[in-house]
Amino acid sequence: MGRIKKKGTSGATNNYLTRSQAVRKLQLPLGDFRRLCIFKGVYPRDPSSRSKKRISKSATPSTTFYYAKDIQYLLHEPLLAQLREKKALEKKIAKALGRGDLTDASRWEREHMPRMRLDHIVKERYPTFVDALRDLDDALSMLYLFASIPSTPDVPPSLIARCHRLTLEWEHYLIRSNTLRKSFLSIKGIYYQATIQGQDILWLVPYKFVMGAGRTGDAGGDLVDWRIMRTFVEFYTTLLGFVNFRLFTAAGVVYPPKFDVEAGEKGAELGAVKLEGRDASEQERIESREDVEGNERAQAEADRLLSLPADEPSDEQSDAPNGDLTTTEDAPTQTLDEFQSVDPQADTLLQPSPTADASVASHLFEPFTFFLSRETPRHPIEFLLKAFGCKRVGWDTTLGSDPGSYCSEDDARITHQIVDRPDLPLPSPPATDDDEEAGAWEARKKLLERVPGRIYVQPQWVWDCVNAGVLQRPDLYAPGATLPPHLSPWVKVKRGEYDPTVPLAEQNGAEVIEDDDEEIEEGSEGEEVDGVRGDEEARELEEELVDDEEEEADDGGMDIELAGSDDDEENEAPTKQAPDDWAGFSGDEEDADVDDSARQTQLELEAEALGRNADEIAAASKSSTSTEAKRAARSRAEREKQEEVERRKGMMSRKKRKIFEKMEFSNARRDEKAEGLRAKKRRIEKAASSGAK
Amino acid sequence: MVSQRAGQKRKVVEVPRPDPEEEEDVLENGDIDDAFEEEGESEDDISEEDDDEDDFDGIASQDEGEELDSDEIPSSDEEAAKPVNGKSGKRATTPPHQLMGSETAVEVATLSPETPVRRLEYGLEKPEINVSYRIAEDANGNPRYIYNEIEPNYDSDDSAPETTNTIGNIPLSYYDEFPHIGYDINGRRIARPAKGEALDSLLDSIDIPEGWTGLTDPSTGKPLQLSSEELEVLKKLTRNEAPGDGYDPYPDMVEYFTGKGMEMTMPLSAAPEPKRRFVPSMHEHKRVMKMVKAIKEGRIKPFRERTEEDREREEQQQEYASYDIWSNEVPRPDHVMNIPAPKLPPPGYEESYHPPPEYLPDKREREEWEKQDEEDRDTAFLPEDHSALRKVPGYAKFVMEKFERCLDLYLAPRVRRSKLNIDPESLLPKLPDPNELRPFPSFCAAIYRGHEGRVRSVAIDPEGRYAASGGDDGTVRVWELLTGRQLWRIRLASDEAVNVVSWRPGHDACILAACCGETVYFILPQGELSNPELESQSREVLDAGFGHAASNPSKTADGKDKTPSAAWSRPPTSQQDRGILLTLTLRSTAKTLVWHRRGDYFSTVCPGTSTHTSTAIAIHTLSKHQTQHPFKKLKGLAQSVSFHPTKPHFFVATRQRIRIYDLQQQKLEKELQPGARWISSLSLHPLGSNLLVSSYDKRLLWHDLDLGSTPYKTLRYHSKAIRAVKFHPTLPLFADSSDDGTVQVFHGKVVGDGLENATVVPLKVLKGHKVRGELGVLDVEWHPREAWCVSAGADGTIRLWM
Repeated sequence: MGRIKKKGTSGATNNYLTRSQAVRKLQLPLGDFRRLCIFKGVYPRDPSSRSKKRISKSATPSTTFYYAKDIQYLLHEPLLAQLREKKALEKKIAKALGRGDLTDASRWEREHMPRMRLDHIVKERYPTFVDALRDLDDALSMLYLFASIPSTPDVPPSLIARCHRLTLEWEHYLIRSNTLRKSFLSIKGIYYQATIQGQDILWLVPYKFVMGAGRTGDAGGDLVDWRIMRTFVEFYTTLLGFVNFRLFTAAGVVYPPKFDVEAGEKGAELGAVKLEGRDASEQERIESREDVEGNERAQAEADRLLSLPADEPSDEQSDAPNGDLTTTEDAPTQTLDEFQSVDPQADTLLQPSPTADASVASHLFEPFTFFLSRETPRHPIEFLLKAFGCKRVGWDTTLGSDPGSYCSEDDARITHQIVDRPDLPLPSPPATDDDEEAGAWEARKKLLERVPGRIYVQPQWVWDCVNAGVLQRPDLYAPGATLPPHLSPWVKVKRGEYDPTVPLAEQNGAEVIEDDDEEIEEGSEGEEVDGVRGDEEARELEEELVDDEEEEADDGGMDIELAGSDDDEENEAPTKQAPDDWAGFSGDEEDADVDDSARQTQLELEAEALGRNADEIAAASKSSTSTEAKRAARSRAEREKQEEVERRKGMMSRKKRKIFEKMEFSNARRDEKAEGLRAKKRRIEKAASSGAK
Repeated sequence: MVSQRAGQKRKVVEVPRPDPEEEEDVLENGDIDDAFEEEGESEDDISEEDDDEDDFDGIASQDEGEELDSDEIPSSDEEAAKPVNGKSGKRATTPPHQLMGSETAVEVATLSPETPVRRLEYGLEKPEINVSYRIAEDANGNPRYIYNEIEPNYDSDDSAPETTNTIGNIPLSYYDEFPHIGYDINGRRIARPAKGEALDSLLDSIDIPEGWTGLTDPSTGKPLQLSSEELEVLKKLTRNEAPGDGYDPYPDMVEYFTGKGMEMTMPLSAAPEPKRRFVPSMHEHKRVMKMVKAIKEGRIKPFRERTEEDREREEQQQEYASYDIWSNEVPRPDHVMNIPAPKLPPPGYEESYHPPPEYLPDKREREEWEKQDEEDRDTAFLPEDHSALRKVPGYAKFVMEKFERCLDLYLAPRVRRSKLNIDPESLLPKLPDPNELRPFPSFCAAIYRGHEGRVRSVAIDPEGRYAASGGDDGTVRVWELLTGRQLWRIRLASDEAVNVVSWRPGHDACILAACCGETVYFILPQGELSNPELESQSREVLDAGFGHAASNPSKTADGKDKTPSAAWSRPPTSQQDRGILLTLTLRSTAKTLVWHRRGDYFSTVCPGTSTHTSTAIAIHTLSKHQTQHPFKKLKGLAQSVSFHPTKPHFFVATRQRIRIYDLQQQKLEKELQPGARWISSLSLHPLGSNLLVSSYDKRLLWHDLDLGSTPYKTLRYHSKAIRAVKFHPTLPLFADSSDDGTVQVFHGKVVGDGLENATVVPLKVLKGHKVRGELGVLDVEWHPREAWCVSAGADGTIRLWM
């Protein structure tokens, strides 16, 4: 007999460690352990509930478990030694400070404090460049957040400046490579999506406001632990630095690009970074991008567009994307045709969206010259326009004399002006000759006046153009106009879900009919819509007629008594069954049913005797109860379906049945949500139509 | 710490000595040492730490130090002269400016031998140099010594308490009229201390200086000030806590071990001082040389303070990436335990700053959302509509959300979950198409009314035209199947119920058997359905037995007449006129009557507990009017029986078991264990390989006779006891009836070759019968050809389902 094995020495027990076990093993304070975990990307695991109890030897259930190999791997981390060294030095410094020995303390801090380099960790966590790109979402969102917050003792200004610089570099790369694909204005901020080397990178940039929550002094300010955020940012800055280096060098640009600190402080944003080519040809390319004055062809195109009559925006819109000569030649060969599936039941093959195309991205705004009004958010619009091919963007420079603005407001070359102010009527000139008043009027007039030939649009136009991949009708986005809804470009509508882009009627045939029924119910509460009601009745009558005709055809040549009763039974069965299902009806019910069928035959006989069409009378007699009958028939069909499913469910194993029920539940919730949206939409449409009347 | 000790040792050598004389002075003067003791100790720590850093300096300078050894000898003598106290020796090595942190330190440091007066300040007694007086001539021409003013500093040697009394032992009142009190050493008047005015004394009393007593010293006239120690003494005195007269606070030391007459004649150890105390350590020397070599070769870099350039370069490196880490990338193979962080889902329509209006919450939704706890909400925000971009405010929860994402990234356990993204329909088992399952009964086509009380049994004739029923009212009724019209009825008994009705199989005759009480009646229904030809045939069948019974009276083995267990007899003529042609009287009430396929044999079961188990089951031969009891002793109470359609097998169901007997070989073939507590009925598939068993404990059991003794399927769809179960004679259907008032119809397809398991599919629940007194549907019967069935209900109706 072998030795009795001790409990908890092998198997799943050894695969996991609780957090306190891990900390003890690494001999680190908890804070340092956290830092290390963040840097190395070590995360807790969720062992199966069975082994959980075995792993934690204590009576109280532990909540966090780490993979034992992860911790083993942390043991060999060079940062670990540095952290320990740092801890020792910090003690020494604290001691010196306690003695009031400032010089020593500062000297130690200056000379001996270990600087952590995270390069090797970046390489370890992302062995290939594509891996790094895949994980860039969080990094970018975080850096953009830190680039936009004010500095506090928790967040030093140097860190903010670094984040700002890195994000600007990243934007410059996107502009240069035309890899930005989509963007979306949400209530949280602006989402951007870029596709680099086949990786979709999605990040969120907050609007330019002072970030409120989470700061000390604010509500919930102590909920945010800035040390943790800073640790993340520390790693992310290193990561984005290397990613930028790789991207820039691959694009033939010197990294780091020149960053004009002074201009940056003045709010030059994109203009603060100056790219430098690695060789002469690259340098030329960069300069050609920047020096757009010489681009005669584009200018001519812009002029041509300007000369078009202003009241034909639709014409221009259709022309615009193909306006460039080179694109007109290339476009037909490169773009995909759109395949529309005829049968909704058939499989749909996925097609890349039109924006996922570098040629579209690089030429979308190329022929135009934009001017951004003072009230529009300059940086996001400038970035977006430039990333989609526009080279001539001007803005108001009265507030800050930052460089980079292409032109001033009264430049004749401007084709589009982006405006975000209400459309106010021009005031009448002042009656008096007061100079001051006249000056004010002039200024106001200048603000409100429209330069003829220039297209005025609201900022959303830019986003909608970018997401659609084609220029949108600018008249929909005119200043003061009610904007069309701004839709997320990432939503892929699945079957049965609500799609706001498709009219309600086209969404789902069967469901719409059902919905109409509901509408009648709703209508009966409040106002009634005649047209719908009429349609409904007509349709039902028609169906009724068809049914009856079929009956007649069947009846022909058969024994009248038998067949008639048979058919009636069949017809009546549903109505009879309905109460049966709900139970609790008296036995007279059957009698009533028999009476009903008898009456039906009676009616037919009478009609025949009179020589009139039996159907008419039948229809007339039924019309009062037709809707209920219809509903009953529908509910019968539904119930039958339900019964069928129940029947099949009975044959499944318990496990499978549970899965099935779960799925059914989630599907039902999804449907319910979609249904709610449709109902709302219907209500809104109805209100709009009644308002129009 | 050998090296450090070495450094300390060496320090004795290299201490810079500004002036040997002064050094000596310092060393000799114990008072000063004492005075500095406290300060010096605190300084020691720092100097020690300095030592750590200056290690290399010390070592480096040691080489030169060794050459200087000869010069050192006098100083080491001096060292020997000193007290061997290590501490004081060490202190001696520290330069004076390190000893004192105060201003005097600076002064001492700048001392030079040319300033004798300053030396005086130091308070050192050197009469040959330090002259503290000058000689002047007085009025008589005699020399007069005028003493310099003595600076009363703390380190003066004048440690004896200064006598402040200058007037001698006379009362102070003698000086009352003078502006001074006494004279100083030079004969000058000592001014009387200023007497405080009323205001001054008030002020004095307001901010009380330390030790203020408010009293005047009678000997000097100054305000009397008492230190805290003095106050303590006073306090003790007042409390009478002072030691007694004989107490000596400073007794002489009693010299127990040293002193006169106590001198040790020998040291503690007589061993001579070892050589190693005098020779530099070779081991240390080796180590030092190793380090020296390393420094020379550049392996150890002496500490160098970083310059501004270094720092800048480092900063640059920290700030900007300067090389491509992915220059040689090697993809890592995927591992199960490496779970990448899940990406955040892209925003949906409701997150738009200007969403379609249907996404905006209405008032009710908004209230509901606000009422919900923050954790219960399924979205963290409510959709909002802003008519223009300029109106969009900042998102208040932005930082919080990002922070939570951070927490998720490093605190949330990650688990791989395979998400089923399939149509739930595909999970359902593949069943035959409902169209393939047709026909099956689905609705009630006719209701037969007429019975008073429960209808116990129902049967359809082999032609499929009529249905016969028997009920609690003691009548047997025959109905036209399709219309439900009652064609004929007969009352068999007024007080007993008709338990079973059953048509004799076969198309040659039209005979209905009915069990009422202990009697089995064989009836030829009269009225519309009588047919002279059929009637004569039927009479022949029934009468054939009379002749046989008469010619071959049954005998026992020993030749005696057997007491017949059942009596076959002709009923009275009144009954014969009404169609009853033959009666068979049993010993107890028969609850089951089952015909053999050919119509010659039938079996009855009397399950009552009063009957003997051997007579419970009887097999009768109609053509011979013969009754047999095949089982001498039956285990358990018989419930139901059945004939095998093709083989000479006989199925007997007791309450819990089913036994299959071979009638020819007269032995037990098989025993089935359905697992039911109380079997109610059984039905054999027309092919004979499958058996359905219904039980009062709500279960329906499908036995495949080829498989084993346990059921192949156990169906439990009824909420009450199941009364009867029947296979359809030709179609793959079966139905059971239950006390919950329903008849359930199933599809049960059996493939003849036995390679495939039977498929059982639930088809239809036929609802219609009312539950009366806990009883629902008592019997169910199939039409011989069509997919129609009739059911007998406890509510007195019979229903035809088609």
